[in-house]
Amino acid sequence: MGSRQITEKSLSMLRSLPRISLGNIRDNPNCKKNPKRGRAQHGGDKHGAGNKGSGQRQNFMRLGYETGNNPFYLRVPQEHYYRGQHLRREYPPLSLHQLQNMIDKDRLDVNQPIDIASIVRSGIYNFFPDLKQFGVNLTDEGADIFVAKVNIEVQWASEQVIAAIEKNGGVITTAYYDPHSLLLLKNPKKFFESGQAIPRRMIPPPDAIEFYTSAKTRGYLADPEEISKERLKLSQKYGYSLPNIEKESNYEMLCEKKDPRQIFYGLEPGWVVNLKDECILKPKDQELLQFYNS
Amino acid sequence: MTAGVRHNVSFETNNIVLIALVAILYSLFKMATVWRSQCAFARLFAGKTGQILNNATDLGTKLGPGSQSAILAKKYSNYAHSPFVTKIKEQYDYEIVKNPPEWGYVQRLLPFDTIPAVTPKDSYPSGWVPPKEEAKTLPFFLCRTRNHEIPIYLQITYRGIRKITKIKRIEGDIWLLNDEIKSYLKEKNNRYVETRVQEVGRFIEVKGDYVNQLVDWAHSKGF
Amino acid sequence: MTSALISAIRRLHIAVTPQIRVYSSNVAATTSAGSNSLSITKKEWAFQPQYTKPREVWIENLDTIEEQKLGLFELHPSVYAAPPRLDIINQNVVWQRKIRFVSWAHTKTRAEVRGGGKKPWPQKGTGRARHGSIRSPLWRGGGIAHGPRSGKSHFFMLPFHVRIHGLTTTLSSKLAQDDLHIVKDLELPTDEPEFLAELVEKRNWGPSVLIVDDTDYAPRNITAATDSLAHINIMPVYGLNVYSMLKHDTLVLTLSAAEKIEERLLHWLHADTRAQSREYKVNQV
Repeated sequence: MGSRQITEKSLSMLRSLPRISLGNIRDNPNCKKNPKRGRAQHGGDKHGAGNKGSGQRQNFMRLGYETGNNPFYLRVPQEHYYRGQHLRREYPPLSLHQLQNMIDKDRLDVNQPIDIASIVRSGIYNFFPDLKQFGVNLTDEGADIFVAKVNIEVQWASEQVIAAIEKNGGVITTAYYDPHSLLLLKNPKKFFESGQAIPRRMIPPPDAIEFYTSAKTRGYLADPEEISKERLKLSQKYGYSLPNIEKESNYEMLCEKKDPRQIFYGLEPGWVVNLKDECILKPKDQELLQFYNS
Repeated sequence: MTAGVRHNVSFETNNIVLIALVAILYSLFKMATVWRSQCAFARLFAGKTGQILNNATDLGTKLGPGSQSAILAKKYSNYAHSPFVTKIKEQYDYEIVKNPPEWGYVQRLLPFDTIPAVTPKDSYPSGWVPPKEEAKTLPFFLCRTRNHEIPIYLQITYRGIRKITKIKRIEGDIWLLNDEIKSYLKEKNNRYVETRVQEVGRFIEVKGDYVNQLVDWAHSKGF
Repeated sequence: MTSALISAIRRLHIAVTPQIRVYSSNVAATTSAGSNSLSITKKEWAFQPQYTKPREVWIENLDTIEEQKLGLFELHPSVYAAPPRLDIINQNVVWQRKIRFVSWAHTKTRAEVRGGGKKPWPQKGTGRARHGSIRSPLWRGGGIAHGPRSGKSHFFMLPFHVRIHGLTTTLSSKLAQDDLHIVKDLELPTDEPEFLAELVEKRNWGPSVLIVDDTDYAPRNITAATDSLAHINIMPVYGLNVYSMLKHDTLVLTLSAAEKIEERLLHWLHADTRAQSREYKVNQV
């Protein structure tokens, strides 16, 4: 062959071939399976189904049936692993390694506080609020290599993850969002284009209140004093010296937190964002202000 | 509460059903503020508002007591005869902020137009390796994907029995690349490795799980 | 077909393909008479070409019958030098044919053919085969079993990236076969169709030509000239499709159209397309 560069070779071959047109274009040879069966010597045979019985007739016994025996699935006592499954909250995992990867590839900006909206915006993580998924569970895979200093807000985090982030001088918060708010966070553009006012975030359900008010899990409803105590305690438990974030240059950013009623950073409930004219409609009505501030 | 809000009833709804719904809504919203029930009411009359993403309910309009009583006073036998809402007394008071200082917060929520390029850094702790310039002088080339990853994948079929490593997006001399990875894998694993070259589709399939080894090889070449 | 392929391969032995080729030059290179100012454009793309080198094409004119080369222009290899996948071009053509096709072929079943309610003869005792209706599919003049029923839609959606790849690969093969020409603009000196027909004839553009501009409104002269020429058509950039490109012998892009196509396709080759690649759902309740 004149050249072994596959693209160049095929393009220069085309140059000397007849013009591609509707008349001579066709698919790769043998790429379509013939839907008709053969009519030759073995065309009318069994077609792979075998001879006689359930194989040929395709009337298999129901799953688990043991031709009259007490079947296995009834022989053992039941254990209800899935009792209440429809009520359980799911938190799809995101590992610290993946988070570091997003930061390395500039999908996440560490100079801004990170929340689930920016994690989904990166295009690497996805979740479905309508399938009872309530946000990010940050897992400790890659805790050893994680070096980024971030202000991150997730929905679930273990103690190791909290330690890994605080060791680097970062701040982590666990925050609850109701499914409606999560839908907005997943696709903020679609919501802004709908022209509706940003709603309030709902408070957590009763069984989640303990997690989100606990300072140990860095809950967003916990007392800040308690949290700073717990930060110190955790550093002593894991044996690292806690960096003093007050002396950091980006202390302002590290302290940025959302209001418990707030969904987006910097945007208050009740505002309407107009993307087309690049303006924000802020309510002044006393009735509305009272509602959105409650 | 949300169940009530989801009733996205269009204006053409039968008025009797509407009044019944209002009654249901009122009982549902009894514990919420009066405002909420009013707004849910307003939504019922506003017609199709499209998909409701929002659990706050405001359409920017208030229904005055006059318009409500006009609707509730008479029972119409046909929805077609019921009047449109005409008396929208006032609008909620709001201010329009042009060039707001908060616009930066909005912009950081909007999706990327195209996937951003990676800025050069001193180190990449996650193990991601940037492509090198000198790789472009080789007789063959592996193009990074739009996500800046190396296009080497593992295909598992037949319930985990068959594992095939697929190298995609190959440019240049695919046969030379095939020879190189064959000798590289033979040296690494002390065994012959089978490959299949697809020149038209520009990919090579290697029989077995050699993803990590091949990614290391690609990094060493600078792809 | 095979002999043509073999001769093509033979010719390749001689032609050691250089990395940069100057395409689309049917006429011997004659620089624009009088002015020796060839504009040579080197482009800085947002997404740099990785391995394949950019393509260079001549910018031509339309205001004279003789071809004048106004400059050199670079095209991005991801769009204009993609590997020619004839199967993907074919998939796009089949899709474009089928997407709007509704089959109105129709046959009557045994229930719809007139008559046949009465049992033709008793079940037993006649010595004849048992039959229940004279319109059974076994009978002459009976209904058709499993025949075509009208109003059958052949709609399906080709995956997003196959559609994108279809455009790039068709543009690339057009360029590789010297059937893609870039013109500066669509300004013609007259609105007579004879001028355009002669121009196409003289430049050996084949009878049918597709002209693509990036605006909806083409200049008056060319719209008037192409109006009576059924085989020369004008199209805006957003209407560009694989079927039309193959239907016409030559594709003529204006400079701005070529850039617009390049920009849009490069955008989709480097954007997050999860929403576009999702399974297509018809928008109905």
